[in-house]
Amino acid sequence: MNSKTSYSEQELVLLLLQRSNSAFSYLYDNYSGALYGIINQIVSDTETANDVLQEVFINIWRKMDLYDSSKGRLFTWMLNIARNAAIDKVRSKGYQDGLKNQPLQENVDAHMVGRVVPKTDDIGLKKVLTKLKEEHRKLIDLSYFQGFTHEEIAKMLDMPLGTVKTRIRNALSQLRNMIQ
Amino acid sequence: MNIQEYISSGIVESYVLGLASAEERAEFETNCIAYPEVRTAREAFELLLEKQAMESAVAPPAALKQKIFDNLSTVGEEKKVIAEQTPLRTMNWLKIAAAACFILLAGSLWWNMSLKNENRKLQALQEKIETLQAQLDSSSSHFAQMKADAEAIQKSSIKMAKMDGTANSPQSFATVYWDTTSHDVYLLVNNLPKPASEHQYQLWALLDGKPIDMGVLEISEKPLQLYRMKNAQAAQAFAITLEKKGGSPTPSMDKMYVIGKL
Repeated sequence: MNSKTSYSEQELVLLLLQRSNSAFSYLYDNYSGALYGIINQIVSDTETANDVLQEVFINIWRKMDLYDSSKGRLFTWMLNIARNAAIDKVRSKGYQDGLKNQPLQENVDAHMVGRVVPKTDDIGLKKVLTKLKEEHRKLIDLSYFQGFTHEEIAKMLDMPLGTVKTRIRNALSQLRNMIQ
Repeated sequence: MNIQEYISSGIVESYVLGLASAEERAEFETNCIAYPEVRTAREAFELLLEKQAMESAVAPPAALKQKIFDNLSTVGEEKKVIAEQTPLRTMNWLKIAAAACFILLAGSLWWNMSLKNENRKLQALQEKIETLQAQLDSSSSHFAQMKADAEAIQKSSIKMAKMDGTANSPQSFATVYWDTTSHDVYLLVNNLPKPASEHQYQLWALLDGKPIDMGVLEISEKPLQLYRMKNAQAAQAFAITLEKKGGSPTPSMDKMYVIGKL
């Protein structure tokens, strides 16, 4: 199922909307690694990461017509699907039940459970994150990798919402400069 | 709003990474349209993020692709079932309905036409029956008349006078039947030349040398016509003369055609 053809993003989107199998194969060959990378920065075991990647590609296939190119690149859209799917998986009851040794996070809503130690801290953004100051690193970890809202983080860290927002923005700007 | 400040505020990263609130997202999308530099900044960060993610890609297990595609074909089939079969079914129903309508229409047209045809045939038949009926009626009445005539002249009380042609018309020939009881007089014209339109034949009874008017003859085209004439109380002979139309009080003896004794 290897596709040697190369598509522009526009062509790829059009072909995916037409449910082209070869375009989807191309998409998988080119982007599964990058998406698998982000998933592994969020979930802690390979089996779950595999399940999430499968879910992600099925969702991409199903929800292709929801993609709006005016709001961002295809990869950005897929990356967010992967991140959200991984976070949802981490928060799911089945996943939590499997993590017997993980202490539950305090001060969170019933559905906002557990903090997970991901499998990898040495790849991608996670790796970049280690270069940030501790206060910034923690905010990015909670918001981006664990999916907590600014309000939840403010509660969690007993910090004013405005401060959380400003610090996250600052952290993101730094992050950007670091990966540039 | 200072756009450069907005761009460097971290909103671009926040938006692209999916950390912005719904409000922030809406504002950012508006700004992308209003300020091309916002969009440019967004695209630059997206490319940066993509590059970074590609560089830190982790190859998933090789078997996973096949597994995903197997799952996908099931998803694809579901989609196909929804996307194609439903309209197909509708099409089928439409086709069936259209076909049914057509058959009904064709059937009713054929029915209508055959009914019309039958009706026409029936009407023709009806007309023929009416014609035949009329002919039968006419024949029957004619027959009845002839039968009555035949009966009338076959009575035992009938006396017959055979009238032969005179010198005026030797070929002429007629017969008078006289009922001695009822005194009815019948005339059978065996052969008389057709009179001119201003003339009519007139029958006379002769009693003791005196002529008695028995009426004028309304010549009919019917064969073997037996003409009913005036009654005669008594007669020794009968004669026919050719008179002016309407008849004469006395016979023109020189225009006598036939004469015969009882």
